[in-house]
Amino acid sequence: MTKGIYTLEFPRQSLVINSTNSNSPAVVLVSALSYALAVSISTSIAALFTALLMPLTFILTKRFKLSHLVKINIVNIIMIFTLAMTWPIFIDGLVMGAVIALRVNMICVAFGVMIYPLGTAGMYEALCVLNVPMKLRVLVILTLRGIYTLSERYSSSITSVKLRAPELSGMMRLKVFAYMIGNILLQTSERSENIMRAVKCRGGFGGFKQSENDGFNLRDIVMMTGYAFYVLGIVLLNNA
Amino acid sequence: MHISEGILSGSVLVTCWAGTIIGTAYGLKHTDTDKTVRTALISSAFFLASLVNVRIGPSSTHLSLLAPMGIILGNSVFPAVLVALMLQALLFHFGGLLVLGANTFVMGGAALLTHVIFGKAIREGKGRAHVRVMSFIAGVFAVMAGASLAGAFLGMTDRNFIGAVKILLIAHVPLALVEGAVTMFLVMWLKRAAPEFLS
Repeated sequence: MTKGIYTLEFPRQSLVINSTNSNSPAVVLVSALSYALAVSISTSIAALFTALLMPLTFILTKRFKLSHLVKINIVNIIMIFTLAMTWPIFIDGLVMGAVIALRVNMICVAFGVMIYPLGTAGMYEALCVLNVPMKLRVLVILTLRGIYTLSERYSSSITSVKLRAPELSGMMRLKVFAYMIGNILLQTSERSENIMRAVKCRGGFGGFKQSENDGFNLRDIVMMTGYAFYVLGIVLLNNA
Repeated sequence: MHISEGILSGSVLVTCWAGTIIGTAYGLKHTDTDKTVRTALISSAFFLASLVNVRIGPSSTHLSLLAPMGIILGNSVFPAVLVALMLQALLFHFGGLLVLGANTFVMGGAALLTHVIFGKAIREGKGRAHVRVMSFIAGVFAVMAGASLAGAFLGMTDRNFIGAVKILLIAHVPLALVEGAVTMFLVMWLKRAAPEFLS
Protein backbone atom coordinates (compact mmCIF):
# COMPACT_ATOMS: atom_id res chain seq x y z
CA MET A 1 0.00 0.00 0.00
CA THR A 2 1.52 3.32 -0.98
CA LYS A 3 2.23 5.98 1.58
CA GLY A 4 -0.76 7.86 2.94
CA ILE A 5 -3.52 5.85 1.29
CA TYR A 6 -5.36 5.10 4.51
CA THR A 7 -4.14 7.32 7.28
CA LEU A 8 -5.90 7.41 10.60
CA GLU A 9 -5.89 10.89 12.09
CA PHE A 10 -6.47 10.00 15.71
CA PRO A 11 -4.95 12.47 18.16
CA ARG A 12 -5.18 10.43 21.36
CA GLN A 13 -4.44 13.38 23.60
CA SER A 14 -7.89 14.73 22.68
CA LEU A 15 -9.42 11.87 24.66
CA VAL A 16 -7.87 13.15 27.88
CA ILE A 17 -10.63 14.45 30.11
CA ASN A 18 -9.86 17.86 31.53
CA SER A 19 -12.69 19.67 33.25
CA THR A 20 -11.89 23.05 34.80
CA ASN A 21 -15.44 24.35 35.18
CA SER A 22 -16.84 24.24 38.71
CA ASN A 23 -20.47 24.54 37.60
CA SER A 24 -22.72 21.54 37.12
CA PRO A 25 -22.03 20.10 33.62
CA ALA A 26 -25.80 19.94 32.98
CA VAL A 27 -26.16 23.68 33.66
CA VAL A 28 -23.16 24.50 31.47
CA LEU A 29 -24.49 22.30 28.66
CA VAL A 30 -28.01 23.77 28.75
CA SER A 31 -26.68 27.36 28.97
CA ALA A 32 -24.30 26.90 26.04
CA LEU A 33 -26.90 25.16 23.89
CA SER A 34 -29.56 27.82 24.56
CA TYR A 35 -27.02 30.52 23.65
CA ALA A 36 -26.13 28.64 20.44
CA LEU A 37 -29.82 28.31 19.54
CA ALA A 38 -30.36 32.05 20.07
CA VAL A 39 -27.33 32.79 17.86
CA SER A 40 -28.55 30.39 15.16
CA ILE A 41 -31.94 32.07 14.85
CA SER A 42 -30.55 35.63 14.99
CA THR A 43 -30.71 37.62 11.78
CA SER A 44 -30.77 41.24 12.98
CA ILE A 45 -27.52 43.17 13.42
CA ALA A 46 -28.46 44.29 16.96
CA ALA A 47 -29.07 40.68 18.10
CA LEU A 48 -25.85 39.42 16.48
CA PHE A 49 -23.76 42.19 18.07
CA THR A 50 -25.31 41.50 21.49
CA ALA A 51 -24.55 37.81 21.04
CA LEU A 52 -20.97 38.72 20.06
CA LEU A 53 -20.33 40.22 23.53
CA MET A 54 -19.89 36.85 25.23
CA PRO A 55 -17.36 35.31 22.79
CA LEU A 56 -15.46 38.63 22.75
CA THR A 57 -15.25 38.52 26.55
CA PHE A 58 -13.91 34.96 26.39
CA ILE A 59 -11.27 36.01 23.84
CA LEU A 60 -10.26 39.22 25.66
CA THR A 61 -9.94 37.39 28.98
CA LYS A 62 -7.73 34.82 27.18
CA ARG A 63 -10.05 31.91 27.93
CA PHE A 64 -10.09 31.09 24.21
CA LYS A 65 -7.19 31.23 21.74
CA LEU A 66 -8.00 32.75 18.35
CA SER A 67 -5.66 30.26 16.70
CA HIS A 68 -8.32 27.57 17.32
CA LEU A 69 -10.55 29.33 14.80
CA VAL A 70 -8.09 29.17 11.88
CA LYS A 71 -9.20 25.75 10.54
CA ILE A 72 -12.91 26.63 10.87
CA ASN A 73 -12.43 29.89 9.02
CA ILE A 74 -10.62 28.25 6.11
CA VAL A 75 -13.81 26.19 5.63
CA ASN A 76 -15.86 29.37 6.17
CA ILE A 77 -14.03 31.18 3.34
CA ILE A 78 -14.84 28.31 0.95
CA MET A 79 -18.46 28.37 2.17
CA ILE A 80 -18.78 32.16 1.68
CA PHE A 81 -17.31 31.88 -1.82
CA THR A 82 -19.67 28.98 -2.71
CA LEU A 83 -22.73 30.86 -1.42
CA ALA A 84 -21.74 34.05 -3.24
CA MET A 85 -21.35 32.16 -6.51
CA THR A 86 -24.56 30.12 -6.18
CA TRP A 87 -26.91 32.73 -4.62
CA PRO A 88 -29.23 34.52 -7.11
CA ILE A 89 -27.59 37.87 -6.23
CA PHE A 90 -23.82 37.82 -5.57
CA ILE A 91 -23.84 40.42 -2.77
CA ASP A 92 -26.74 38.73 -0.94
CA GLY A 93 -24.86 35.43 -1.02
CA LEU A 94 -21.75 37.15 0.30
CA VAL A 95 -23.70 38.73 3.18
CA MET A 96 -25.44 35.43 3.99
CA GLY A 97 -22.07 33.65 4.02
CA ALA A 98 -20.57 36.30 6.29
CA VAL A 99 -23.51 36.07 8.75
CA ILE A 100 -23.20 32.26 8.86
CA ALA A 101 -19.42 32.55 9.37
CA LEU A 102 -19.98 34.99 12.25
CA ARG A 103 -22.50 32.63 13.87
CA VAL A 104 -20.16 29.64 13.46
CA ASN A 105 -17.31 31.55 15.11
CA MET A 106 -19.48 32.70 18.02
CA ILE A 107 -20.83 29.21 18.68
CA CYS A 108 -17.34 27.70 18.38
CA VAL A 109 -15.93 30.11 20.96
CA ALA A 110 -18.86 29.47 23.34
CA PHE A 111 -18.59 25.68 23.00
CA GLY A 112 -14.79 25.82 23.14
CA VAL A 113 -14.87 27.57 26.51
CA MET A 114 -17.99 26.00 28.02
CA ILE A 115 -18.69 22.50 26.67
CA TYR A 116 -15.53 20.99 25.21
CA PRO A 117 -13.49 21.26 28.46
CA LEU A 118 -16.16 19.11 30.17
CA GLY A 119 -14.87 16.12 28.20
CA THR A 120 -16.73 12.85 27.94
CA ALA A 121 -16.91 12.36 31.72
CA GLY A 122 -18.59 15.74 32.22
CA MET A 123 -20.92 15.07 29.33
CA TYR A 124 -21.86 11.72 30.85
CA GLU A 125 -22.61 13.46 34.15
CA ALA A 126 -24.75 16.04 32.33
CA LEU A 127 -26.68 13.24 30.60
CA CYS A 128 -27.32 11.64 34.02
CA VAL A 129 -28.66 14.89 35.50
CA LEU A 130 -30.83 15.47 32.41
CA ASN A 131 -32.35 11.98 32.88
CA VAL A 132 -31.19 10.62 29.54
CA PRO A 133 -32.09 6.87 29.38
CA MET A 134 -29.57 4.50 30.95
CA LYS A 135 -29.26 2.50 27.71
CA LEU A 136 -28.04 5.57 25.83
CA ARG A 137 -25.56 6.46 28.58
CA VAL A 138 -24.17 2.92 28.60
CA LEU A 139 -23.87 3.17 24.82
CA VAL A 140 -21.75 6.33 25.22
CA ILE A 141 -19.34 4.58 27.59
CA LEU A 142 -19.12 1.41 25.50
CA THR A 143 -18.62 3.39 22.29
CA LEU A 144 -15.77 5.35 23.85
CA ARG A 145 -14.16 2.09 24.93
CA GLY A 146 -14.76 0.64 21.46
CA ILE A 147 -12.98 3.61 19.89
CA TYR A 148 -9.82 2.82 21.87
CA THR A 149 -9.98 -0.89 21.06
CA LEU A 150 -10.76 -0.46 17.36
CA SER A 151 -8.13 2.23 16.83
CA GLU A 152 -5.45 -0.02 18.36
CA ARG A 153 -6.47 -2.96 16.17
CA TYR A 154 -6.74 -0.73 13.12
CA SER A 155 -3.22 0.62 13.62
CA SER A 156 -1.67 -2.83 13.91
CA SER A 157 -3.69 -4.16 10.94
CA ILE A 158 -2.71 -1.25 8.71
CA THR A 159 0.96 -1.76 9.58
CA SER A 160 0.78 -5.44 8.62
CA VAL A 161 -1.07 -4.68 5.37
CA LYS A 162 1.52 -2.02 4.47
CA LEU A 163 4.32 -4.52 5.05
CA ARG A 164 2.66 -7.36 3.14
CA ALA A 165 1.36 -5.39 0.16
CA PRO A 166 2.99 -1.97 -0.19
CA GLU A 167 1.89 -1.38 -3.79
CA LEU A 168 -1.87 -2.03 -3.72
CA SER A 169 -4.03 0.18 -5.91
CA GLY A 170 -7.51 0.55 -7.41
CA MET A 171 -10.29 -1.85 -6.45
CA MET A 172 -7.88 -4.25 -4.77
CA ARG A 173 -6.99 -1.49 -2.31
CA LEU A 174 -10.67 -1.01 -1.38
CA LYS A 175 -11.19 -4.78 -1.17
CA VAL A 176 -8.29 -5.21 1.26
CA PHE A 177 -9.55 -2.24 3.27
CA ALA A 178 -13.10 -3.69 3.51
CA TYR A 179 -11.81 -7.15 4.51
CA MET A 180 -9.62 -5.54 7.13
CA ILE A 181 -12.58 -3.61 8.60
CA GLY A 182 -14.67 -6.82 8.67
CA ASN A 183 -11.87 -8.72 10.35
CA ILE A 184 -11.33 -6.05 13.00
CA LEU A 185 -15.08 -5.83 13.69
CA LEU A 186 -15.37 -9.59 14.17
CA GLN A 187 -12.36 -9.89 16.47
CA THR A 188 -13.38 -6.89 18.57
CA SER A 189 -16.99 -8.03 18.70
CA GLU A 190 -16.02 -11.34 20.29
CA ARG A 191 -13.82 -9.59 22.84
CA SER A 192 -16.49 -6.99 23.66
CA GLU A 193 -19.18 -9.63 24.14
CA ASN A 194 -16.92 -11.45 26.61
CA ILE A 195 -16.37 -8.20 28.49
CA MET A 196 -20.12 -7.58 28.55
CA ARG A 197 -20.64 -11.03 30.08
CA ALA A 198 -18.05 -10.16 32.74
CA VAL A 199 -19.84 -6.85 33.45
CA LYS A 200 -23.14 -8.73 33.88
CA CYS A 201 -21.49 -11.25 36.22
CA ARG A 202 -20.29 -8.38 38.39
CA GLY A 203 -23.80 -7.01 38.76
CA GLY A 204 -24.54 -5.06 35.60
CA PHE A 205 -24.01 -1.35 35.27
CA GLY A 206 -24.14 -0.48 38.98
CA GLY A 207 -20.64 1.01 38.75
CA PHE A 208 -21.71 3.74 36.37
CA LYS A 209 -24.06 5.15 39.01
CA GLN A 210 -21.09 6.85 40.68
CA SER A 211 -21.35 9.61 38.10
CA GLU A 212 -25.00 10.26 38.79
CA ASN A 213 -24.79 12.95 41.39
CA ASP A 214 -26.25 15.88 43.21
CA GLY A 215 -28.53 18.72 42.29
CA PHE A 216 -27.67 22.35 41.59
CA ASN A 217 -25.89 24.80 43.92
CA LEU A 218 -26.28 28.59 44.19
CA ARG A 219 -23.53 29.15 41.62
CA ASP A 220 -25.45 27.04 39.09
CA ILE A 221 -28.69 28.91 39.73
CA VAL A 222 -26.94 32.29 39.25
CA MET A 223 -25.37 31.05 36.01
CA MET A 224 -28.66 29.68 34.68
CA THR A 225 -30.53 32.91 35.50
CA GLY A 226 -27.81 35.06 33.94
CA TYR A 227 -27.80 33.04 30.73
CA ALA A 228 -31.61 32.97 30.59
CA PHE A 229 -31.71 36.80 30.65
CA TYR A 230 -28.89 37.10 28.13
CA VAL A 231 -30.48 34.64 25.69
CA LEU A 232 -33.89 36.27 26.16
CA GLY A 233 -32.28 39.65 25.37
CA ILE A 234 -30.81 38.30 22.12
CA VAL A 235 -34.17 36.80 21.09
CA LEU A 236 -36.10 40.01 21.92
CA LEU A 237 -33.60 42.18 20.02
CA ASN A 238 -33.92 39.85 17.04
CA ASN A 239 -37.71 40.16 17.06
CA ALA A 240 -37.73 43.94 17.67
CA MET B 1 -22.09 15.36 5.12
CA HIS B 2 -21.84 17.15 8.47
CA ILE B 3 -23.93 20.32 8.54
CA SER B 4 -22.08 23.06 10.37
CA GLU B 5 -23.42 25.16 13.26
CA GLY B 6 -25.13 28.45 12.47
CA ILE B 7 -26.57 27.48 9.07
CA LEU B 8 -29.95 25.86 9.76
CA SER B 9 -32.93 27.92 10.88
CA GLY B 10 -34.52 27.49 14.32
CA SER B 11 -37.59 25.66 12.98
CA VAL B 12 -35.47 23.19 10.99
CA LEU B 13 -33.23 22.56 14.02
CA VAL B 14 -36.24 21.88 16.25
CA THR B 15 -37.88 19.61 13.63
CA CYS B 16 -34.65 17.63 13.21
CA TRP B 17 -34.22 17.25 16.98
CA ALA B 18 -37.81 15.98 17.22
CA GLY B 19 -37.12 13.43 14.46
CA THR B 20 -33.86 12.38 16.12
CA ILE B 21 -35.50 11.93 19.53
CA ILE B 22 -38.24 9.76 18.00
CA GLY B 23 -35.70 7.73 15.99
CA THR B 24 -33.44 7.28 19.02
CA ALA B 25 -36.33 6.24 21.28
CA TYR B 26 -37.44 3.72 18.63
CA GLY B 27 -33.86 2.49 18.24
CA LEU B 28 -33.32 2.10 21.99
CA LYS B 29 -36.57 0.14 22.24
CA HIS B 30 -35.17 -2.31 19.69
CA THR B 31 -31.76 -2.54 21.39
CA ASP B 32 -31.65 -5.20 24.09
CA THR B 33 -28.70 -5.50 26.48
CA ASP B 34 -27.01 -8.16 24.35
CA LYS B 35 -27.25 -5.99 21.25
CA THR B 36 -25.81 -2.94 23.07
CA VAL B 37 -22.23 -4.19 22.67
CA ARG B 38 -22.58 -4.64 18.92
CA THR B 39 -24.33 -1.28 18.58
CA ALA B 40 -21.49 0.41 20.50
CA LEU B 41 -18.91 -1.36 18.36
CA ILE B 42 -20.49 -0.28 15.09
CA SER B 43 -20.89 3.21 16.52
CA SER B 44 -17.12 3.24 17.27
CA ALA B 45 -16.37 2.01 13.73
CA PHE B 46 -18.53 4.83 12.32
CA PHE B 47 -16.66 7.32 14.53
CA LEU B 48 -13.27 6.05 13.36
CA ALA B 49 -14.31 5.79 9.70
CA SER B 50 -14.60 9.57 9.55
CA LEU B 51 -10.96 9.82 10.63
CA VAL B 52 -9.67 7.48 7.93
CA ASN B 53 -8.47 9.21 4.78
CA VAL B 54 -8.99 7.22 1.58
CA ARG B 55 -7.15 8.61 -1.40
CA ILE B 56 -9.17 9.06 -4.61
CA GLY B 57 -6.77 10.16 -7.33
CA PRO B 58 -5.14 13.43 -6.33
CA SER B 59 -7.52 14.18 -3.45
CA SER B 60 -8.77 12.24 -0.45
CA THR B 61 -12.09 11.61 1.25
CA HIS B 62 -13.49 10.29 4.52
CA LEU B 63 -15.58 7.15 4.64
CA SER B 64 -18.95 7.13 6.41
CA LEU B 65 -19.89 3.40 6.48
CA LEU B 66 -23.58 4.39 6.59
CA ALA B 67 -24.79 1.40 4.56
CA PRO B 68 -22.95 -1.26 6.63
CA MET B 69 -24.30 0.45 9.77
CA GLY B 70 -27.86 0.29 8.48
CA ILE B 71 -27.54 -3.32 7.31
CA ILE B 72 -25.89 -4.58 10.52
CA LEU B 73 -27.80 -2.56 13.13
CA GLY B 74 -31.19 -2.21 11.44
CA ASN B 75 -33.64 -0.42 13.73
CA SER B 76 -30.96 0.36 16.33
CA VAL B 77 -29.03 2.62 14.00
CA PHE B 78 -30.24 6.00 15.34
CA PRO B 79 -28.75 5.70 18.87
CA ALA B 80 -25.46 4.49 17.36
CA VAL B 81 -25.24 7.48 15.00
CA LEU B 82 -26.27 9.92 17.76
CA VAL B 83 -23.57 8.70 20.16
CA ALA B 84 -20.84 8.60 17.49
CA LEU B 85 -21.65 12.13 16.30
CA MET B 86 -21.80 13.43 19.88
CA LEU B 87 -18.35 11.99 20.59
CA GLN B 88 -17.05 13.43 17.30
CA ALA B 89 -18.35 16.86 18.32
CA LEU B 90 -16.87 16.59 21.82
CA LEU B 91 -13.50 15.09 20.95
CA PHE B 92 -12.73 16.49 17.50
CA HIS B 93 -15.23 19.38 17.15
CA PHE B 94 -16.69 17.90 13.93
CA GLY B 95 -20.22 19.16 13.23
CA GLY B 96 -21.49 20.59 16.50
CA LEU B 97 -23.81 19.95 19.41
CA LEU B 98 -26.72 22.17 18.38
CA VAL B 99 -26.82 20.63 14.89
CA LEU B 100 -26.31 17.17 16.39
CA GLY B 101 -30.05 16.55 15.93
CA ALA B 102 -29.92 17.50 12.25
CA ASN B 103 -26.73 15.54 11.54
CA THR B 104 -28.10 12.47 13.35
CA PHE B 105 -31.34 12.73 11.41
CA VAL B 106 -29.45 13.03 8.11
CA MET B 107 -27.08 10.10 8.67
CA GLY B 108 -29.33 7.93 10.83
CA GLY B 109 -32.20 8.48 8.40
CA ALA B 110 -30.03 7.48 5.44
CA ALA B 111 -28.77 4.35 7.24
CA LEU B 112 -32.29 3.38 8.36
CA LEU B 113 -33.65 3.87 4.82
CA THR B 114 -30.86 1.65 3.50
CA HIS B 115 -31.84 -1.04 6.02
CA VAL B 116 -35.52 -0.80 5.07
CA ILE B 117 -34.93 -0.86 1.31
CA PHE B 118 -31.92 -3.19 0.95
CA GLY B 119 -31.58 -5.02 4.28
CA LYS B 120 -33.78 -8.00 3.47
CA ALA B 121 -32.50 -8.37 -0.09
CA ILE B 122 -28.89 -8.41 1.13
CA ARG B 123 -29.49 -10.77 4.06
CA GLU B 124 -31.64 -13.24 2.15
CA GLY B 125 -30.15 -12.76 -1.33
CA LYS B 126 -29.64 -16.11 -3.05
CA GLY B 127 -26.86 -15.66 -5.59
CA ARG B 128 -23.51 -14.02 -4.85
CA ALA B 129 -23.89 -11.73 -7.85
CA HIS B 130 -27.28 -10.52 -6.62
CA VAL B 131 -25.96 -9.73 -3.11
CA ARG B 132 -22.89 -8.07 -4.62
CA VAL B 133 -24.97 -5.73 -6.82
CA MET B 134 -27.50 -4.97 -4.06
CA SER B 135 -24.80 -4.11 -1.49
CA PHE B 136 -22.98 -1.86 -3.97
CA ILE B 137 -26.24 -0.01 -4.72
CA ALA B 138 -26.97 0.17 -0.96
CA GLY B 139 -23.58 1.80 -0.35
CA VAL B 140 -24.12 4.37 -3.10
CA PHE B 141 -27.72 4.97 -2.00
CA ALA B 142 -26.81 5.57 1.67
CA VAL B 143 -24.34 8.34 0.86
CA MET B 144 -26.57 10.00 -1.72
CA ALA B 145 -29.62 9.74 0.58
CA GLY B 146 -27.63 11.40 3.38
CA ALA B 147 -26.45 14.18 1.07
CA SER B 148 -30.01 14.65 -0.26
CA LEU B 149 -31.44 14.89 3.27
CA ALA B 150 -28.76 17.43 4.21
CA GLY B 151 -29.61 19.33 1.01
CA ALA B 152 -33.32 19.20 1.83
CA PHE B 153 -32.74 20.75 5.25
CA LEU B 154 -30.59 23.48 3.71
CA GLY B 155 -33.35 24.12 1.16
CA MET B 156 -35.95 24.28 3.94
CA THR B 157 -33.81 26.90 5.71
CA ASP B 158 -33.54 29.12 2.64
CA ARG B 159 -34.53 28.35 -0.97
CA ASN B 160 -31.46 30.21 -2.19
CA PHE B 161 -29.27 27.38 -0.86
CA ILE B 162 -30.35 25.25 -3.85
CA GLY B 163 -27.27 26.20 -5.89
CA ALA B 164 -24.95 25.17 -3.06
CA VAL B 165 -26.98 21.97 -2.57
CA LYS B 166 -26.32 20.98 -6.21
CA ILE B 167 -22.57 21.34 -5.60
CA LEU B 168 -22.92 19.32 -2.39
CA LEU B 169 -24.64 16.47 -4.25
CA ILE B 170 -22.09 16.42 -7.08
CA ALA B 171 -19.21 16.45 -4.56
CA HIS B 172 -20.64 13.34 -2.87
CA VAL B 173 -20.70 11.20 -6.05
CA PRO B 174 -17.05 9.96 -5.81
CA LEU B 175 -17.52 9.19 -2.10
CA ALA B 176 -20.74 7.30 -2.90
CA LEU B 177 -18.91 5.10 -5.44
CA VAL B 178 -16.09 4.34 -2.98
CA GLU B 179 -18.64 3.60 -0.25
CA GLY B 180 -20.52 1.33 -2.65
CA ALA B 181 -17.37 -0.68 -3.35
CA VAL B 182 -16.36 -0.87 0.34
CA THR B 183 -19.91 -1.90 1.34
CA MET B 184 -19.96 -4.57 -1.37
CA PHE B 185 -16.63 -6.12 -0.29
CA LEU B 186 -17.49 -5.83 3.42
CA VAL B 187 -20.92 -7.47 3.02
CA MET B 188 -19.50 -10.28 0.88
CA TRP B 189 -16.77 -10.92 3.46
CA LEU B 190 -19.22 -10.87 6.39
CA LYS B 191 -21.65 -13.19 4.58
CA ARG B 192 -18.85 -15.69 4.14
CA ALA B 193 -17.00 -15.30 7.47
CA ALA B 194 -19.75 -14.36 9.94
CA PRO B 195 -23.27 -14.45 8.48
CA GLU B 196 -24.75 -14.03 12.00
CA PHE B 197 -23.35 -10.47 11.99
CA LEU B 198 -25.85 -9.55 9.29
CA SER B 199 -28.83 -11.33 10.82
